[in-house]
Amino acid sequence: MASVEVLPVDGRPSEPDGFREFVEARSNALLRSGWLLTGDWPSAEDLVQTALAATWPRWATLSRQDAPELYVRKIMVNTFLRWRRRRWNGEIATGRLPELQAYGDAFAQIDARQALIAALDRLPPRQRAVVVLRYFADQTETQTAAAMGCSVGAVKAHASKALARLRDAPGLAELMTGGVAS
Amino acid sequence: MNTEERQLAEMLHRVTPEPPRQVTVEDVAYRLASEPRLGREPRPRRGFSWPGFLRGGHGWTPVLAALSVFVVAGASAGIATVATSQHSHAPAPGDGTPPSTASAPTTASPSSSAPSAPAGTSLRIANGMWGAGLINRQSFGQGSLTGGGDSLYAAGDGSLARIDPATGAILQTTPYSPPVFSRPVVVGNTVWVVWSYSGGDIVLRGYDARTLAQVASVPVPAIGGVAGQARGVLAAGPDGQLYVAAGDTVAAVDPAAGHVTHRTYLTADRASSVAVSPDGSKLYVGTAPSGSFQLLVYDLATGVQASSSRMPASGAGNLVATAGGVWGTTGTGMSEWAWFAPGGDLSSSFRVSQGTGAGLDSVPVYSGGAVWIGGSHELVCASPVTGRAMAHTPIPTDRGVLEYFGSVTVLSSGHAYALYRDQAAPLAGVASLTPPAACSGS
Repeated sequence: MASVEVLPVDGRPSEPDGFREFVEARSNALLRSGWLLTGDWPSAEDLVQTALAATWPRWATLSRQDAPELYVRKIMVNTFLRWRRRRWNGEIATGRLPELQAYGDAFAQIDARQALIAALDRLPPRQRAVVVLRYFADQTETQTAAAMGCSVGAVKAHASKALARLRDAPGLAELMTGGVAS
Repeated sequence: MNTEERQLAEMLHRVTPEPPRQVTVEDVAYRLASEPRLGREPRPRRGFSWPGFLRGGHGWTPVLAALSVFVVAGASAGIATVATSQHSHAPAPGDGTPPSTASAPTTASPSSSAPSAPAGTSLRIANGMWGAGLINRQSFGQGSLTGGGDSLYAAGDGSLARIDPATGAILQTTPYSPPVFSRPVVVGNTVWVVWSYSGGDIVLRGYDARTLAQVASVPVPAIGGVAGQARGVLAAGPDGQLYVAAGDTVAAVDPAAGHVTHRTYLTADRASSVAVSPDGSKLYVGTAPSGSFQLLVYDLATGVQASSSRMPASGAGNLVATAGGVWGTTGTGMSEWAWFAPGGDLSSSFRVSQGTGAGLDSVPVYSGGAVWIGGSHELVCASPVTGRAMAHTPIPTDRGVLEYFGSVTVLSSGHAYALYRDQAAPLAGVASLTPPAACSGS
């Protein structure tokens, strides 16, 4: 049964001070982290929106502690892990993983992205989250542990296992040592 | 970090693309309004606490309650209407929808028959846009739906399936995993697919349109090796002749004889996509020189190249030819969008879809006298002559999560069908559509 909801425009609660600036400044980085976690843009958007929606009500407290981004990333990771446990993961067909082209090829960027996502898909969700937080979001081991709700030792273990798996991923070694332009 | 970790970090920053759009505060406000649970405190993980982070939301409940009053009341000035959540729960058995067990068995070989499901009513989806109703709940590969005679065909989950459009039931299946994105092509009583597409080896296979028993296997050597980013590599001319992008050439295959009859040799680059004009006079070939997409036009009667044009693009392909020109897509994955080049001239091409989030659902399909372009934002039927939209409808979201329509196929009965996917429900399958009369073609 269809339903129609209305979105209040004038009636919604006022935005917390600084929230809009934060979203505008960090949306790009958060979305790219979301893409690395989920492998596609719609899911990445969903993930970031979910995390920011959870952040809005707590903004005053978080901004006082100067840690809103840590909280957003924590919600993103927890939501991602929950999705992986519970949510249907419908694959979007993208065809077979193509062979890597010579660097400089027009399609090299696209091939590189596909190879990267294919490599990340080989990782268990928690190892993937550690890779994104540690090596893309540039979080320390302590920050990563806090975001994931685990110990620093566990972060180190996840990172070590993830690196070992990525070493065997087709095409990733060339990406790590090569020079495909973004 | 050690050297390996630094290399990984550098590579992640270098390869991760820029998003097609940014998240805005308005997006977040909408999510809060439509899903108030997002504003509630998350349950702390076992054995972990984050002082401060998990507190501080206590004063928010009254605000959200007030927000919900606006949501329910919704009558005052300054309120925007947003249609959402057309199926906020998974339909329970017995609601008249075809049971999911009607899906195809995928282990049958070489082909098998599945019992016909009883005719059932379709499940209304996407707010009923263009009368959309789900007649089948089998998930198929994006862009793989095609039609012939009184049947639909689609590939997915390791098989090619014949689908009864009246009931949505899977009638036959045969094992098939597409090696490259290219819609099956129905010629006469045979469904042709690209069975193998790698290096110098291409194999086409033909299946009986009723039984899906294999009736032909045609090897087509790819001279120079197949293109790395080939998409839309198989097309049929009006005389039933098949054309395949085969490395440095386009191979013409006589389906009756089951072999290559002649080749068109390209002057440069490898063919990544191919299409034939409806009157059979022109062969359109896409190639991908570095940083651009090139469209070559050949006179099929003489084999002489008539023209070429190019556009800056990546990942272009999926050519479709109509009376007015050529259609195709550029970009890949979720940033894919469709263009139309009047007369096959890319210099005068223009964009005909919104893209962003469409993926392979945005691949144009010429069927029932119109060109159809799906995606996640809108469904369009366009004139095959002018390339202009004749009608379009927005595709709603399900609680903020995108829904997709694509691969629209019109059967000779005049009924239209599409592949549908809703990741929030979750729900996927074949949908019936009742497009407006404006889409009946020109």
